[in-house]
Amino acid sequence: MSLLTLEGVTVRFGGVHAVRNVSMAVEQGEIRGLIGPNGAGKTSMINVITGMVPCTAGSIRFRDQEISRAPAHEIARLGIGRTFQHVEIFSDQTVVENVLTGMSRHLPHGFWASALSLPRARHGERAARLAAEELLEAFDLTQYRDVLAGDLPFGVLKRLDLARALAARPLLLLLDEPTSGMSEVGALQAIETARTLARNHGISLFVIEHNMRVIMSLADTITVLDYGEKIAEGSPAAIQDDQAVIDAYLGANADA
Amino acid sequence: MRSMWTARLAWLLAIPLLAVLPLALDGYQIYIVTLVLVNVVVAVGLNLLTGNAGQISLCHASFMAIGAYTTTLLMTNLGVPFLVALPTGGVAAAVLGGVLALAAIRLSGFYLALATLGFLEVTQIAIEEFGWLTGGVRGLMAPRPTIVGGIDLGSDLHLYYAVLIVTLFLVWVAYNLLESPVGRAFNAVRVSAAAVQTLGVSPARTKLTAFALAAFYAGIGGGLAGILAGFIDPTEYGTAATLRHITFIVLGGIGSLVGSIVGATVLTLLPEVLRGAAEYGDLFYAALLLGSLILMPKGLVGLVSHWTRRGPVLSEDVTPAQDREPAR
Amino acid sequence: MSFDIVVQLLFSGLSVGSIYALVALSLVIPFKASGILNFGQGEMLLLGAYVALALSLAGLPYWLVMVLTLLISAALGAVIERVLMRPLVNAPEFTIVIGTYAIGLIIKYAMRLYWQDDVYRLPVPFSSQPWVIGTLRINPVYAWMLVVALLITAALALFFQRSRLGKAMRAVSQNQQASRLMGIGVERIFSATFALSTALGALVGILFAPVAGIHPELGNVILKAFVAAVIGGFTSLPGAVVGGLLLGVVETFAGAFFGSTLRNVVAFAILILILLVRPNGLFGTIESRRV
Repeated sequence: MSLLTLEGVTVRFGGVHAVRNVSMAVEQGEIRGLIGPNGAGKTSMINVITGMVPCTAGSIRFRDQEISRAPAHEIARLGIGRTFQHVEIFSDQTVVENVLTGMSRHLPHGFWASALSLPRARHGERAARLAAEELLEAFDLTQYRDVLAGDLPFGVLKRLDLARALAARPLLLLLDEPTSGMSEVGALQAIETARTLARNHGISLFVIEHNMRVIMSLADTITVLDYGEKIAEGSPAAIQDDQAVIDAYLGANADA
Repeated sequence: MRSMWTARLAWLLAIPLLAVLPLALDGYQIYIVTLVLVNVVVAVGLNLLTGNAGQISLCHASFMAIGAYTTTLLMTNLGVPFLVALPTGGVAAAVLGGVLALAAIRLSGFYLALATLGFLEVTQIAIEEFGWLTGGVRGLMAPRPTIVGGIDLGSDLHLYYAVLIVTLFLVWVAYNLLESPVGRAFNAVRVSAAAVQTLGVSPARTKLTAFALAAFYAGIGGGLAGILAGFIDPTEYGTAATLRHITFIVLGGIGSLVGSIVGATVLTLLPEVLRGAAEYGDLFYAALLLGSLILMPKGLVGLVSHWTRRGPVLSEDVTPAQDREPAR
Repeated sequence: MSFDIVVQLLFSGLSVGSIYALVALSLVIPFKASGILNFGQGEMLLLGAYVALALSLAGLPYWLVMVLTLLISAALGAVIERVLMRPLVNAPEFTIVIGTYAIGLIIKYAMRLYWQDDVYRLPVPFSSQPWVIGTLRINPVYAWMLVVALLITAALALFFQRSRLGKAMRAVSQNQQASRLMGIGVERIFSATFALSTALGALVGILFAPVAGIHPELGNVILKAFVAAVIGGFTSLPGAVVGGLLLGVVETFAGAFFGSTLRNVVAFAILILILLVRPNGLFGTIESRRV
């Protein structure tokens, strides 16, 4: 059984087909890349998988459970996480609070325990803060711990977005342009961190990328979209030589 | 966390101070200070809903009214003891808060404000319509109860201590919630409901919790306000009251627990200080609200933290090169 | 229920509804242009009513009072917009709601300081003796309200379709950016729409005053106007008119059948129902997010 299976997925807004009859399967432990020219429907793919946008037709199954009609927070609870292209961080919480919010679904203390400061809540918070510190450390964010997220530069926010998404301990993490806005050095570092964490914790990755160097070195398999349709799928080497892909990009990235 | 020690210090100083305070005051002053405590409860509830969870609510006073009538009617008509009647009033208000949350789930901003305004009007109408129960426009007598052990809350001093205990408890609970997943969910939903969903948190459930919580606080506040005044006047729970409550949190500091306390305290004491200007009271309040909104958007608390902020947060030599914004 | 009574109720329903329609228009026009929903609009109405009262008490004839009030209100509206509303244009919704609410309350309390809670009567140049047509009894004041409302609505429709200013306002409602690029002074349009809306409110104040009397709570009719605007969908002017008339008629019939208290509940029941079931109203186009 594949981790994530899409069959004939179509997403339509008004008269526009953002995604047209796409089928694919992502396996456990895989790192899948999703590339395609601008407007190919890549972000819509992530939006429909995470339930933020309705699925007009087709089926999406996660661990053999149909999720195409499920509400977004339910899908997240099943184990799918994501980051955002334009980072949706909580700008008036501090960096550590952002990460702690990411952990929400795994914390053992609910409303009543928190309200009455029961031992379970105090222990839960302490454990959560320790885990948050570790994540901050992994993403080189410790120095920004108590800074309001809204005060930080974009590159740092991208790392925070990633750290927060990982805090939720997803089984499948969808990354929407994770390295955009980062310097070359920062991008490679972040991707290495993601790859290490993914391998160590058994998280599968599904990555939209424009940076060809990054995606070709990171992904096990790459799916290519153009005008909402899948035009190619295979190993990085195969994709680079695929005529349809080259045509779609008009030869712009043929030397990636 | 640096703020945790300031908080502990604040508790340590405040509690004995508040315990000893009334002994130095006369009867009327004790009434005023008790009123401050009641308003703190109301303000804290509203700030959790509007300041933290970001839900505009123009009907906080309605929840107070529900609490006031429920508590008093249970005591006078059914002989329910105060210790049961008060929380029941809070729960009754919370249930209606939950109902209103259904509107909040589908609406936001202006539309939510309108829905809450509609609810405010409906409660006013209901109070009149059920006049046989509520006393209608003429109001309802709210005699002070005796509680278990024969302690008579008819004494201003005893009532003060009872209200103090309730207030301290509810402020403590609010503080706990703010430093917990619940509080973080509130703040997150206000900024980005989309992101919060991807973390497994249901915005609908969060809004429901926020509304029910705020309504509960208002209900308790209402129950206490009723017996404090000895009388429930329905006109005290309309648009003028809404204005006051919102001014508490805007002046004090939106989203800040301390702000709620400061705002409620300052604005309850202010009319006492500016005695002669009773007529100008409402006008002054409205002008103060507008002024705070435009000139002091983070409230008094924001003003203080602005002055005490220690230099720039990110300076050139501290931020690593790869994290700096690329030059444009 | 005889035919006569139905017609009677329909007539008064439409008359009251036309008031709601005009106030709803005064809400929706600036909302479409600048995105500001003025929660203090009821007090603009109040302002107009008191200006009319002052002029009337100074001895001026009704027609002059009406014209002067409209002009003065329009001017006041432009000033209020420039000074108090302009800073709110791109503010978060909470700030707009509370800010406009506060502005309205400031106006109300200022009026109350001077005029107190007394109820004043605005002298009108026609008698309140009902006209008798067959078996129908028609209150001239209600007829006047209906006629004026219809005329004003028609005038506004023409204004938006034909006049330069009207077309400029429509352009700004649809796309501020594009309007700016086309050389339309967007800020001046904000002032103009607000002046128009204040004048409309003042007109309603004058029309409504003989029925309700002039007193500080006159602005509460705004709540019914909100319901009317919600029924119509906030983005549609004809919708606001239809919403107002519909509300007036439904309310009047409900009052006849069920008594006066229920009559008031009807409006809010409709409000809550529509907001929950179909927030777009009958003609509007704003999507509601399910979150």
